[in-house]
Amino acid sequence: MASVNTEAKAENLEVKSTSRSSVLGFFMAAPPMLLVVCFVGIPILIALTFSLGFTSGPNRVVSIIGQEIHKKDHWWGTFAAYKDVFKDSRFPGDLRTTLVVSFLSTFLTLLMALGIGLYQRIMGGRIAAIMTTLCLVPLFVPVVISSWAIHTFYAGDGFMRSLLSHFGINFPTVTSTVSAIVIGSVWTSLPFAILMVTSGLQSIPDALIETAQDAGAGFFRIVRTVLIPLAITPIVIAGTFTAIGIMGSFTIPLFLGPNQPTMLGVEISNFFGAYNRPQQSIVMAFIVFTAASGIALIYIWANVKSAKQSGRI
Amino acid sequence: MARVKARVKTSSLGVKIFLYIFMALMAVFILGPLFWLGIHAFVTNWTYPNLYPDGWTFHWWTRVFDDSALETAIRNSLIISPIVVIASMVICLPAAYAAGRMNYPGRRIFLIGMFAANSFPKIGLFASIATLYYALNLMGTFLGVVIIQLLGTIIYMTWIPAAAFAAVPRNLEEAARDAGASKFRVFRTITLRLAMPGILVAVVMSFLASFDEAQGSYLVGAPQIFTMPTEMYSLVQNYPIQVAAVFSLLLAFPSVLLITLARKHIIGGQLAEGFQIK
Repeated sequence: MASVNTEAKAENLEVKSTSRSSVLGFFMAAPPMLLVVCFVGIPILIALTFSLGFTSGPNRVVSIIGQEIHKKDHWWGTFAAYKDVFKDSRFPGDLRTTLVVSFLSTFLTLLMALGIGLYQRIMGGRIAAIMTTLCLVPLFVPVVISSWAIHTFYAGDGFMRSLLSHFGINFPTVTSTVSAIVIGSVWTSLPFAILMVTSGLQSIPDALIETAQDAGAGFFRIVRTVLIPLAITPIVIAGTFTAIGIMGSFTIPLFLGPNQPTMLGVEISNFFGAYNRPQQSIVMAFIVFTAASGIALIYIWANVKSAKQSGRI
Repeated sequence: MARVKARVKTSSLGVKIFLYIFMALMAVFILGPLFWLGIHAFVTNWTYPNLYPDGWTFHWWTRVFDDSALETAIRNSLIISPIVVIASMVICLPAAYAAGRMNYPGRRIFLIGMFAANSFPKIGLFASIATLYYALNLMGTFLGVVIIQLLGTIIYMTWIPAAAFAAVPRNLEEAARDAGASKFRVFRTITLRLAMPGILVAVVMSFLASFDEAQGSYLVGAPQIFTMPTEMYSLVQNYPIQVAAVFSLLLAFPSVLLITLARKHIIGGQLAEGFQIK
Protein backbone atom coordinates (compact mmCIF):
# COMPACT_ATOMS: atom_id res chain seq x y z
CA MET A 1 0.00 0.00 0.00
CA ALA A 2 2.75 2.36 1.01
CA SER A 3 4.74 1.64 -2.14
CA VAL A 4 1.73 2.30 -4.34
CA ASN A 5 1.31 5.57 -2.57
CA THR A 6 4.88 6.71 -3.19
CA GLU A 7 4.65 5.61 -6.80
CA ALA A 8 1.54 7.67 -7.26
CA LYS A 9 3.22 10.57 -5.56
CA ALA A 10 6.26 10.27 -7.78
CA GLU A 11 4.06 10.17 -10.86
CA ASN A 12 2.16 13.17 -9.64
CA LEU A 13 5.40 15.02 -9.09
CA GLU A 14 6.62 14.18 -12.56
CA VAL A 15 3.41 15.44 -14.13
CA LYS A 16 3.76 18.65 -12.17
CA SER A 17 7.37 19.14 -13.17
CA THR A 18 6.70 18.46 -16.87
CA SER A 19 3.81 20.90 -16.93
CA ARG A 20 5.97 23.48 -15.21
CA SER A 21 8.83 22.88 -17.62
CA SER A 22 6.43 23.09 -20.54
CA VAL A 23 5.30 26.53 -19.43
CA LEU A 24 8.91 27.55 -18.90
CA GLY A 25 9.85 26.08 -22.28
CA PHE A 26 7.13 28.08 -23.94
CA PHE A 27 8.42 31.31 -22.42
CA MET A 28 12.01 30.49 -23.33
CA ALA A 29 10.95 29.89 -26.92
CA ALA A 30 8.91 33.08 -27.04
CA PRO A 31 11.57 35.76 -27.83
CA PRO A 32 12.72 34.50 -31.26
CA MET A 33 9.13 33.54 -32.02
CA LEU A 34 7.98 37.08 -31.23
CA LEU A 35 10.76 38.55 -33.34
CA VAL A 36 9.77 36.40 -36.31
CA VAL A 37 6.07 37.15 -35.83
CA CYS A 38 6.71 40.91 -35.62
CA PHE A 39 9.27 41.30 -38.37
CA VAL A 40 8.38 38.43 -40.72
CA GLY A 41 4.82 37.26 -40.04
CA ILE A 42 3.11 40.63 -39.67
CA PRO A 43 4.92 42.31 -42.60
CA ILE A 44 3.98 39.39 -44.83
CA LEU A 45 0.32 39.60 -43.74
CA ILE A 46 0.26 43.37 -44.27
CA ALA A 47 1.88 42.82 -47.66
CA LEU A 48 -0.82 40.27 -48.53
CA THR A 49 -3.57 42.79 -47.78
CA PHE A 50 -1.67 45.38 -49.80
CA SER A 51 -1.41 43.06 -52.81
CA LEU A 52 -5.19 42.61 -52.60
CA GLY A 53 -5.79 46.35 -52.73
CA PHE A 54 -6.13 47.32 -49.07
CA THR A 55 -4.50 50.73 -49.28
CA SER A 56 -5.38 52.28 -45.93
CA GLY A 57 -3.92 51.77 -42.47
CA PRO A 58 -0.31 50.57 -42.53
CA ASN A 59 -0.35 50.55 -46.35
CA ARG A 60 -1.23 54.24 -46.62
CA VAL A 61 2.29 55.62 -47.08
CA VAL A 62 3.39 53.08 -49.65
CA SER A 63 0.10 53.54 -51.54
CA ILE A 64 0.69 57.28 -51.81
CA ILE A 65 4.31 56.92 -52.94
CA GLY A 66 3.78 54.01 -55.34
CA GLN A 67 2.41 54.13 -58.86
CA GLU A 68 -0.33 52.03 -60.50
CA ILE A 69 -1.86 51.13 -57.16
CA HIS A 70 -5.12 49.21 -57.36
CA LYS A 71 -7.70 49.85 -54.66
CA LYS A 72 -10.05 47.07 -53.56
CA ASP A 73 -13.47 46.97 -55.18
CA HIS A 74 -14.92 44.04 -53.20
CA TRP A 75 -15.01 43.44 -49.47
CA TRP A 76 -12.16 40.92 -49.89
CA GLY A 77 -10.10 43.15 -52.15
CA THR A 78 -9.17 42.88 -55.81
CA PHE A 79 -6.97 40.74 -58.01
CA ALA A 80 -6.12 43.65 -60.30
CA ALA A 81 -2.45 43.75 -59.26
CA TYR A 82 -2.18 39.99 -59.81
CA LYS A 83 -3.73 40.44 -63.26
CA ASP A 84 -1.19 43.20 -63.97
CA VAL A 85 1.67 40.86 -63.22
CA PHE A 86 0.30 37.92 -65.19
CA LYS A 87 -0.41 40.17 -68.18
CA ASP A 88 3.04 41.77 -68.07
CA SER A 89 4.96 40.69 -71.17
CA ARG A 90 8.14 40.07 -69.19
CA PHE A 91 6.56 37.95 -66.51
CA PRO A 92 6.34 34.58 -68.35
CA GLY A 93 10.02 34.78 -69.25
CA ASP A 94 11.00 35.76 -65.72
CA LEU A 95 8.94 32.99 -64.17
CA ARG A 96 10.33 30.44 -66.60
CA THR A 97 13.90 31.60 -65.91
CA THR A 98 13.30 31.39 -62.16
CA LEU A 99 11.87 27.88 -62.31
CA VAL A 100 14.41 26.55 -64.83
CA VAL A 101 17.38 28.01 -62.93
CA SER A 102 16.07 26.71 -59.60
CA PHE A 103 15.40 23.24 -60.95
CA LEU A 104 18.60 22.92 -62.97
CA SER A 105 20.86 24.33 -60.24
CA THR A 106 19.30 22.13 -57.56
CA PHE A 107 19.65 19.09 -59.80
CA LEU A 108 23.31 19.81 -60.58
CA THR A 109 24.10 20.65 -56.95
CA LEU A 110 22.56 17.41 -55.70
CA LEU A 111 24.29 15.43 -58.44
CA MET A 112 27.70 16.82 -57.50
CA ALA A 113 27.04 16.51 -53.76
CA LEU A 114 25.89 12.91 -54.18
CA GLY A 115 28.79 12.03 -56.46
CA ILE A 116 31.38 13.41 -54.05
CA GLY A 117 29.52 12.17 -50.97
CA LEU A 118 29.15 8.62 -52.29
CA TYR A 119 32.75 8.53 -53.44
CA GLN A 120 33.87 9.68 -50.01
CA ARG A 121 31.65 7.14 -48.26
CA ILE A 122 32.77 4.15 -50.29
CA MET A 123 36.37 4.98 -51.14
CA GLY A 124 37.43 7.42 -48.46
CA GLY A 125 41.03 8.55 -48.74
CA ARG A 126 42.91 11.71 -49.60
CA ILE A 127 41.22 12.65 -52.86
CA ALA A 128 37.80 12.45 -51.22
CA ALA A 129 38.93 14.57 -48.28
CA ILE A 130 40.42 17.22 -50.56
CA MET A 131 37.30 17.36 -52.68
CA THR A 132 34.96 17.69 -49.70
CA THR A 133 37.06 20.48 -48.20
CA LEU A 134 37.19 22.21 -51.58
CA CYS A 135 33.41 22.17 -51.81
CA LEU A 136 33.10 23.82 -48.39
CA VAL A 137 35.07 26.90 -49.43
CA PRO A 138 32.00 28.76 -50.81
CA LEU A 139 30.36 28.57 -47.37
CA PHE A 140 32.83 31.16 -46.15
CA VAL A 141 32.68 33.56 -49.05
CA PRO A 142 30.04 36.30 -48.96
CA VAL A 143 27.61 36.02 -51.86
CA VAL A 144 28.40 39.55 -53.02
CA ILE A 145 32.05 38.61 -53.46
CA SER A 146 31.51 35.21 -55.02
CA SER A 147 28.99 36.57 -57.54
CA TRP A 148 31.40 39.32 -58.50
CA ALA A 149 34.34 36.88 -58.66
CA ILE A 150 32.39 34.54 -60.93
CA HIS A 151 31.29 37.54 -62.98
CA THR A 152 34.89 38.56 -63.70
CA PHE A 153 36.08 34.97 -64.15
CA TYR A 154 33.68 34.18 -67.00
CA ALA A 155 33.53 37.73 -68.43
CA GLY A 156 34.62 38.74 -71.91
CA ASP A 157 38.13 39.55 -70.62
CA GLY A 158 38.00 36.93 -67.87
CA PHE A 159 40.26 34.02 -67.09
CA MET A 160 38.40 31.34 -69.02
CA ARG A 161 38.49 33.26 -72.28
CA SER A 162 42.07 34.44 -71.73
CA LEU A 163 43.37 30.95 -71.01
CA LEU A 164 41.54 29.12 -73.76
CA SER A 165 42.30 31.74 -76.40
CA HIS A 166 45.95 30.65 -76.07
CA PHE A 167 44.85 27.21 -77.23
CA GLY A 168 42.91 28.69 -80.08
CA ILE A 169 39.57 27.99 -78.42
CA ASN A 170 37.01 30.79 -78.47
CA PHE A 171 35.33 30.20 -75.10
CA PRO A 172 31.95 31.94 -74.95
CA THR A 173 31.33 34.84 -72.59
CA VAL A 174 29.19 33.21 -69.93
CA THR A 175 28.66 36.30 -67.77
CA SER A 176 25.24 37.92 -68.26
CA THR A 177 23.58 34.73 -69.42
CA VAL A 178 21.22 32.35 -67.66
CA SER A 179 24.03 29.77 -67.58
CA ALA A 180 26.06 32.14 -65.40
CA ILE A 181 23.19 32.26 -62.88
CA VAL A 182 23.22 28.45 -62.78
CA ILE A 183 27.01 28.41 -62.27
CA GLY A 184 26.75 30.96 -59.46
CA SER A 185 23.83 29.15 -57.82
CA VAL A 186 25.59 25.78 -57.88
CA TRP A 187 28.76 27.41 -56.58
CA THR A 188 27.05 28.92 -53.55
CA SER A 189 24.72 25.98 -52.84
CA LEU A 190 27.34 23.24 -52.96
CA PRO A 191 28.67 23.41 -49.34
CA PHE A 192 25.32 23.01 -47.63
CA ALA A 193 24.30 20.15 -49.92
CA ILE A 194 27.64 18.38 -49.38
CA LEU A 195 27.36 18.73 -45.60
CA MET A 196 23.84 17.32 -45.52
CA VAL A 197 24.55 14.47 -47.92
CA THR A 198 27.84 13.36 -46.36
CA SER A 199 26.41 13.47 -42.84
CA GLY A 200 23.50 11.30 -44.04
CA LEU A 201 25.80 8.82 -45.77
CA GLN A 202 28.23 8.64 -42.85
CA SER A 203 25.48 7.46 -40.51
CA ILE A 204 24.93 4.30 -42.60
CA PRO A 205 26.79 1.41 -40.95
CA ASP A 206 29.66 -0.22 -42.87
CA ALA A 207 28.19 -3.64 -42.15
CA LEU A 208 25.20 -2.93 -44.37
CA ILE A 209 27.39 -2.04 -47.34
CA GLU A 210 29.61 -5.07 -46.80
CA THR A 211 26.65 -7.42 -46.53
CA ALA A 212 25.30 -6.13 -49.80
CA GLN A 213 28.71 -6.66 -51.41
CA ASP A 214 28.93 -10.18 -50.05
CA ALA A 215 25.55 -10.85 -51.59
CA GLY A 216 27.12 -9.90 -54.91
CA ALA A 217 25.73 -6.40 -55.40
CA GLY A 218 27.81 -4.08 -57.59
CA PHE A 219 28.69 -0.45 -56.92
CA PHE A 220 25.66 1.11 -58.56
CA ARG A 221 23.30 -1.44 -57.09
CA ILE A 222 24.57 -0.69 -53.59
CA VAL A 223 24.20 3.02 -54.21
CA ARG A 224 20.69 2.59 -55.57
CA THR A 225 19.30 0.07 -53.11
CA VAL A 226 21.21 0.74 -49.89
CA LEU A 227 22.91 4.12 -49.67
CA ILE A 228 20.38 6.44 -51.30
CA PRO A 229 17.26 4.98 -49.63
CA LEU A 230 18.89 5.14 -46.22
CA ALA A 231 20.14 8.70 -46.67
CA ILE A 232 17.05 9.98 -48.46
CA THR A 233 15.94 12.39 -45.69
CA PRO A 234 19.11 14.51 -45.61
CA ILE A 235 19.22 14.38 -49.41
CA VAL A 236 15.66 15.71 -49.61
CA ILE A 237 16.43 18.39 -47.02
CA ALA A 238 19.51 19.44 -49.00
CA GLY A 239 17.44 19.61 -52.19
CA THR A 240 14.57 21.61 -50.73
CA PHE A 241 16.79 24.13 -48.96
CA THR A 242 18.84 24.60 -52.10
CA ALA A 243 15.78 25.06 -54.31
CA ILE A 244 14.10 27.52 -51.94
CA GLY A 245 17.28 29.53 -51.54
CA ILE A 246 17.89 29.77 -55.27
CA MET A 247 14.27 30.58 -56.08
CA GLY A 248 14.34 33.73 -53.98
CA SER A 249 17.91 34.71 -54.75
CA PHE A 250 18.75 38.26 -55.71
CA THR A 251 22.45 39.03 -55.72
CA ILE A 252 23.49 36.13 -57.97
CA PRO A 253 21.03 36.84 -60.80
CA LEU A 254 21.68 40.58 -60.39
CA PHE A 255 25.44 40.27 -60.91
CA LEU A 256 25.52 37.27 -63.23
CA GLY A 257 22.28 37.16 -65.18
CA PRO A 258 21.06 38.93 -68.30
CA ASN A 259 18.89 42.05 -68.04
CA GLN A 260 15.95 40.29 -69.64
CA PRO A 261 14.61 37.79 -68.83
CA THR A 262 15.88 37.64 -65.29
CA MET A 263 14.88 35.90 -62.08
CA LEU A 264 11.90 37.10 -60.06
CA GLY A 265 14.13 38.08 -57.13
CA VAL A 266 15.70 40.82 -59.25
CA GLU A 267 12.34 41.77 -60.72
CA ILE A 268 10.80 42.15 -57.23
CA SER A 269 13.56 44.62 -56.42
CA ASN A 270 13.20 46.42 -59.77
CA PHE A 271 9.45 46.80 -59.41
CA PHE A 272 9.78 47.99 -55.83
CA GLY A 273 12.61 50.44 -56.42
CA ALA A 274 13.32 51.46 -60.00
CA TYR A 275 9.77 51.13 -61.45
CA ASN A 276 8.06 52.26 -58.24
CA ARG A 277 5.27 49.69 -58.58
CA PRO A 278 5.30 48.23 -55.05
CA GLN A 279 1.99 46.39 -55.36
CA GLN A 280 3.14 44.36 -58.36
CA SER A 281 6.45 43.74 -56.62
CA ILE A 282 4.66 42.23 -53.61
CA VAL A 283 2.49 40.11 -55.92
CA MET A 284 5.65 38.60 -57.41
CA ALA A 285 7.01 37.90 -53.93
CA PHE A 286 3.84 35.93 -53.19
CA ILE A 287 4.17 33.99 -56.43
CA VAL A 288 7.72 32.96 -55.46
CA PHE A 289 6.49 32.22 -51.94
CA THR A 290 3.76 29.93 -53.29
CA ALA A 291 6.28 27.95 -55.32
CA ALA A 292 8.69 27.81 -52.38
CA SER A 293 5.90 26.65 -50.07
CA GLY A 294 5.27 23.69 -52.34
CA ILE A 295 8.92 22.73 -51.94
CA ALA A 296 8.78 23.41 -48.20
CA LEU A 297 6.00 20.82 -47.91
CA ILE A 298 8.35 18.20 -49.33
CA TYR A 299 10.86 19.19 -46.68
CA ILE A 300 8.37 18.84 -43.85
CA TRP A 301 7.18 15.51 -45.26
CA ALA A 302 10.78 14.22 -45.28
CA ASN A 303 11.27 15.29 -41.68
CA VAL A 304 8.05 13.72 -40.47
CA LYS A 305 8.92 10.52 -42.32
CA SER A 306 12.34 10.31 -40.70
CA ALA A 307 10.84 11.09 -37.27
CA LYS A 308 8.36 8.24 -37.74
CA GLN A 309 11.09 5.84 -38.79
CA SER A 310 13.16 6.52 -35.72
CA GLY A 311 10.06 6.25 -33.55
CA ARG A 312 9.94 9.83 -32.34
CA ILE A 313 6.30 10.27 -33.35
CA MET B 1 35.36 -0.67 -44.58
CA ALA B 2 38.82 -1.93 -45.45
CA ARG B 3 37.34 -4.57 -47.71
CA VAL B 4 35.06 -2.09 -49.37
CA LYS B 5 38.03 0.08 -50.16
CA ALA B 6 40.21 -2.78 -51.37
CA ARG B 7 37.65 -3.96 -53.85
CA VAL B 8 37.24 -0.65 -55.57
CA LYS B 9 40.92 0.29 -55.37
CA THR B 10 41.69 -2.52 -57.79
CA SER B 11 39.71 -0.55 -60.35
CA SER B 12 41.48 0.60 -63.45
CA LEU B 13 43.96 3.38 -64.02
CA GLY B 14 41.35 5.01 -66.21
CA VAL B 15 39.09 5.64 -63.24
CA LYS B 16 41.97 7.18 -61.35
CA ILE B 17 42.85 9.54 -64.20
CA PHE B 18 39.19 10.49 -64.50
CA LEU B 19 39.13 11.30 -60.77
CA TYR B 20 42.18 13.52 -60.97
CA ILE B 21 40.75 15.38 -63.94
CA PHE B 22 37.46 15.79 -62.11
CA MET B 23 39.29 17.11 -59.04
CA ALA B 24 41.26 19.58 -61.14
CA LEU B 25 38.07 20.82 -62.79
CA MET B 26 36.39 21.21 -59.40
CA ALA B 27 39.39 23.18 -58.15
CA VAL B 28 39.15 25.52 -61.14
CA PHE B 29 35.39 25.80 -60.76
CA ILE B 30 35.49 26.68 -57.05
CA LEU B 31 38.83 28.38 -56.46
CA GLY B 32 39.38 29.87 -59.91
CA PRO B 33 37.01 32.84 -59.57
CA LEU B 34 38.33 33.65 -56.08
CA PHE B 35 41.98 33.65 -57.16
CA TRP B 36 41.19 35.58 -60.30
CA LEU B 37 39.48 38.33 -58.32
CA GLY B 38 42.06 38.17 -55.50
CA ILE B 39 45.02 38.69 -57.85
CA HIS B 40 43.34 41.79 -59.27
CA ALA B 41 43.83 43.51 -55.92
CA PHE B 42 47.56 43.75 -56.68
CA VAL B 43 47.72 44.50 -60.39
CA THR B 44 48.04 47.79 -62.23
CA ASN B 45 46.14 46.59 -65.29
CA TRP B 46 45.41 43.36 -67.07
CA THR B 47 45.23 43.29 -70.85
CA TYR B 48 43.14 40.62 -72.49
CA PRO B 49 44.12 37.90 -73.37
CA ASN B 50 47.46 37.96 -71.53
CA LEU B 51 47.95 35.39 -68.79
CA TYR B 52 50.11 37.82 -66.81
CA PRO B 53 49.08 41.24 -65.54
CA ASP B 54 50.81 44.34 -66.90
CA GLY B 55 52.36 45.14 -63.50
CA TRP B 56 52.06 44.84 -59.74
CA THR B 57 51.04 47.54 -57.25
CA PHE B 58 49.63 48.26 -53.78
CA HIS B 59 48.07 51.44 -55.04
CA TRP B 60 44.47 50.13 -54.74
CA TRP B 61 44.91 49.29 -51.07
CA THR B 62 45.87 52.85 -50.14
CA ARG B 63 42.97 54.03 -52.25
CA VAL B 64 40.50 51.92 -50.24
CA PHE B 65 41.93 53.04 -46.90
CA ASP B 66 41.98 56.69 -47.97
CA ASP B 67 38.35 56.63 -49.02
CA SER B 68 36.31 57.67 -46.01
CA ALA B 69 33.09 56.07 -47.30
CA LEU B 70 34.77 52.69 -47.59
CA GLU B 71 36.35 53.11 -44.19
CA THR B 72 32.97 53.92 -42.63
CA ALA B 73 31.50 50.82 -44.22
CA ILE B 74 34.26 48.68 -42.75
CA ARG B 75 33.74 50.20 -39.32
CA ASN B 76 29.95 49.78 -39.51
CA SER B 77 30.31 46.12 -40.40
CA LEU B 78 32.75 45.47 -37.58
CA ILE B 79 30.40 47.12 -35.07
CA ILE B 80 27.07 45.79 -36.29
CA SER B 81 27.92 42.12 -36.75
CA PRO B 82 29.14 41.43 -33.19
CA ILE B 83 26.09 43.22 -31.81
CA VAL B 84 23.84 41.10 -34.01
CA VAL B 85 25.52 37.87 -32.92
CA ILE B 86 25.31 38.74 -29.22
CA ALA B 87 21.67 39.82 -29.51
CA SER B 88 20.93 36.65 -31.43
CA MET B 89 22.55 34.52 -28.70
CA VAL B 90 20.58 36.25 -25.95
CA ILE B 91 17.29 35.90 -27.82
CA CYS B 92 17.73 32.46 -29.34
CA LEU B 93 19.87 30.27 -27.09
CA PRO B 94 17.25 29.87 -24.33
CA ALA B 95 14.75 28.99 -27.05
CA ALA B 96 17.22 26.51 -28.54
CA TYR B 97 17.63 24.91 -25.11
CA ALA B 98 13.87 24.69 -24.74
CA ALA B 99 13.43 23.23 -28.22
CA GLY B 100 16.18 20.68 -27.62
CA ARG B 101 15.34 19.62 -24.07
CA MET B 102 11.78 20.42 -23.17
CA ASN B 103 8.46 19.46 -24.54
CA TYR B 104 6.21 22.44 -24.59
CA PRO B 105 3.04 23.16 -26.52
CA GLY B 106 3.79 24.27 -30.05
CA ARG B 107 7.41 23.08 -30.06
CA ARG B 108 7.19 21.53 -33.51
CA ILE B 109 5.19 24.49 -34.79
CA PHE B 110 7.99 26.69 -33.47
CA LEU B 111 10.65 24.83 -35.47
CA ILE B 112 8.56 24.60 -38.62
CA GLY B 113 7.49 28.23 -38.25
CA MET B 114 11.14 29.26 -38.24
CA PHE B 115 11.56 27.32 -41.44
CA ALA B 116 8.44 28.70 -43.11
CA ALA B 117 9.67 32.20 -42.37
CA ASN B 118 12.84 31.23 -44.20
CA SER B 119 11.01 30.19 -47.38
CA PHE B 120 9.48 33.58 -48.13
CA PRO B 121 11.81 35.19 -50.67
CA LYS B 122 14.14 37.46 -48.72
CA ILE B 123 13.93 40.34 -51.15
CA GLY B 124 10.11 40.19 -51.03
CA LEU B 125 10.21 40.21 -47.24
CA PHE B 126 12.49 43.24 -47.22
CA ALA B 127 10.09 45.03 -49.55
CA SER B 128 7.21 44.11 -47.21
CA ILE B 129 9.13 45.13 -44.12
CA ALA B 130 9.61 48.63 -45.50
CA THR B 131 5.99 49.46 -44.59
CA LEU B 132 6.55 48.46 -40.97
CA TYR B 133 9.91 50.23 -40.86
CA TYR B 134 8.39 53.50 -42.01
CA ALA B 135 5.71 53.18 -39.34
CA LEU B 136 8.26 52.44 -36.59
CA ASN B 137 10.76 55.03 -37.85
CA LEU B 138 13.43 52.36 -38.30
CA MET B 139 14.30 53.21 -41.90
CA GLY B 140 17.94 54.21 -42.26
CA THR B 141 18.70 53.62 -38.59
CA PHE B 142 21.34 51.53 -36.90
CA LEU B 143 18.70 49.52 -35.02
CA GLY B 144 16.85 48.86 -38.26
CA VAL B 145 19.91 47.28 -39.85
CA VAL B 146 20.62 45.26 -36.71
CA ILE B 147 17.07 43.83 -36.72
CA ILE B 148 17.23 42.96 -40.42
CA GLN B 149 20.49 41.08 -39.92
CA LEU B 150 19.18 39.47 -36.74
CA LEU B 151 16.35 37.87 -38.71
CA GLY B 152 18.85 36.03 -40.89
CA THR B 153 20.69 34.56 -37.89
CA ILE B 154 17.65 33.16 -36.06
CA ILE B 155 17.46 29.95 -38.05
CA TYR B 156 21.11 29.12 -37.29
CA MET B 157 21.00 30.19 -33.66
CA THR B 158 17.87 28.17 -32.83
CA TRP B 159 18.23 25.02 -34.90
CA ILE B 160 21.89 24.09 -34.53
CA PRO B 161 22.17 24.62 -30.73
CA ALA B 162 18.78 22.89 -30.29
CA ALA B 163 20.20 19.75 -31.87
CA ALA B 164 23.37 20.10 -29.81
CA PHE B 165 21.43 20.46 -26.54
CA ALA B 166 19.24 17.50 -27.45
CA ALA B 167 22.32 15.35 -28.03
CA VAL B 168 23.76 15.84 -24.52
CA PRO B 169 23.29 12.51 -22.72
CA ARG B 170 20.85 12.88 -19.81
CA ASN B 171 22.50 10.17 -17.73
CA LEU B 172 25.72 12.20 -17.55
CA GLU B 173 23.80 15.09 -16.03
CA GLU B 174 21.95 12.80 -13.66
CA ALA B 175 25.21 11.21 -12.54
CA ALA B 176 26.65 14.65 -11.80
CA ARG B 177 23.49 15.57 -9.86
CA ASP B 178 23.79 12.34 -7.86
CA ALA B 179 27.39 13.21 -7.08
CA GLY B 180 26.10 16.38 -5.48
CA ALA B 181 26.67 19.03 -8.15
CA SER B 182 24.24 21.92 -8.13
CA LYS B 183 21.84 22.38 -11.03
CA PHE B 184 23.71 25.40 -12.28
CA ARG B 185 27.04 23.62 -12.04
CA VAL B 186 25.74 20.65 -14.02
CA PHE B 187 24.47 23.02 -16.68
CA ARG B 188 27.73 24.93 -16.84
CA THR B 189 30.20 22.06 -16.71
CA ILE B 190 28.31 19.35 -18.57
CA THR B 191 25.35 20.52 -20.64
CA LEU B 192 26.90 23.73 -21.87
CA ARG B 193 30.33 22.22 -22.43
CA LEU B 194 29.01 19.31 -24.47
CA ALA B 195 26.74 21.56 -26.50
CA MET B 196 29.58 24.05 -27.08
CA PRO B 197 30.67 22.81 -30.52
CA GLY B 198 27.11 23.24 -31.77
CA ILE B 199 26.85 26.71 -30.26
CA LEU B 200 30.22 27.64 -31.75
CA VAL B 201 29.08 26.58 -35.22
CA ALA B 202 25.88 28.58 -34.73
CA VAL B 203 27.89 31.64 -33.69
CA VAL B 204 30.18 31.35 -36.71
CA MET B 205 27.29 30.84 -39.12
CA SER B 206 25.37 33.73 -37.56
CA PHE B 207 28.35 36.04 -37.73
CA LEU B 208 28.87 35.20 -41.39
CA ALA B 209 25.14 35.55 -42.12
CA SER B 210 25.15 38.98 -40.49
CA PHE B 211 28.50 40.12 -41.86
CA ASP B 212 27.58 39.03 -45.41
CA GLU B 213 23.97 40.20 -45.41
CA ALA B 214 23.55 42.64 -48.26
CA GLN B 215 20.02 42.87 -49.68
CA GLY B 216 18.15 43.75 -46.49
CA SER B 217 20.79 46.05 -45.09
CA TYR B 218 20.87 47.89 -48.39
CA LEU B 219 17.11 48.29 -48.57
CA VAL B 220 16.66 49.60 -45.02
CA GLY B 221 20.11 51.07 -44.38
CA ALA B 222 21.01 52.99 -47.54
CA PRO B 223 21.77 55.78 -47.98
CA GLN B 224 22.41 56.52 -44.28
CA ILE B 225 24.12 53.33 -43.19
CA PHE B 226 26.43 51.33 -45.42
CA THR B 227 28.02 48.06 -44.40
CA MET B 228 30.80 46.35 -46.33
CA PRO B 229 28.55 44.12 -48.46
CA THR B 230 26.13 46.94 -49.28
CA GLU B 231 29.08 49.13 -50.21
CA MET B 232 30.03 46.39 -52.68
CA TYR B 233 26.88 47.06 -54.71
CA SER B 234 27.92 50.60 -55.48
CA LEU B 235 31.60 49.69 -55.57
CA VAL B 236 31.32 47.24 -58.47
CA GLN B 237 29.43 49.82 -60.48
CA ASN B 238 31.49 52.91 -59.75
CA TYR B 239 35.07 51.79 -59.14
CA PRO B 240 37.65 49.84 -61.18
CA ILE B 241 37.66 46.10 -60.64
CA GLN B 242 40.88 46.31 -58.60
CA VAL B 243 39.17 48.31 -55.85
CA ALA B 244 36.37 45.76 -55.65
CA ALA B 245 39.04 43.08 -55.44
CA VAL B 246 40.77 44.77 -52.49
CA PHE B 247 37.45 45.22 -50.77
CA SER B 248 36.57 41.57 -51.41
CA LEU B 249 39.78 40.43 -49.77
CA LEU B 250 39.03 42.59 -46.73
CA LEU B 251 35.48 41.28 -46.60
CA ALA B 252 36.63 37.67 -46.89
CA PHE B 253 39.23 38.03 -44.13
CA PRO B 254 36.95 37.35 -41.12
CA SER B 255 35.49 34.37 -42.93
CA VAL B 256 38.88 32.81 -43.52
CA LEU B 257 39.71 33.42 -39.88
CA LEU B 258 36.53 31.69 -38.76
CA ILE B 259 36.94 28.76 -41.15
CA THR B 260 40.05 27.72 -39.25
CA LEU B 261 38.22 28.08 -35.95
CA ALA B 262 35.13 26.04 -36.64
CA ARG B 263 36.07 23.88 -39.60
CA LYS B 264 36.31 20.67 -37.60
CA HIS B 265 32.87 21.00 -36.03
CA ILE B 266 31.13 22.12 -39.18
CA ILE B 267 32.48 19.15 -41.12
CA GLY B 268 31.85 17.02 -38.03
CA GLY B 269 28.14 17.27 -38.69
CA GLN B 270 26.96 19.93 -36.22
CA LEU B 271 25.55 22.01 -39.03
CA ALA B 272 23.85 19.12 -40.81
CA GLU B 273 22.47 17.79 -37.53
CA GLY B 274 20.79 21.08 -36.80
CA PHE B 275 18.81 21.15 -40.03
CA GLN B 276 16.72 18.09 -39.26
CA ILE B 277 13.62 18.78 -37.22
CA LYS B 278 13.27 16.31 -34.38
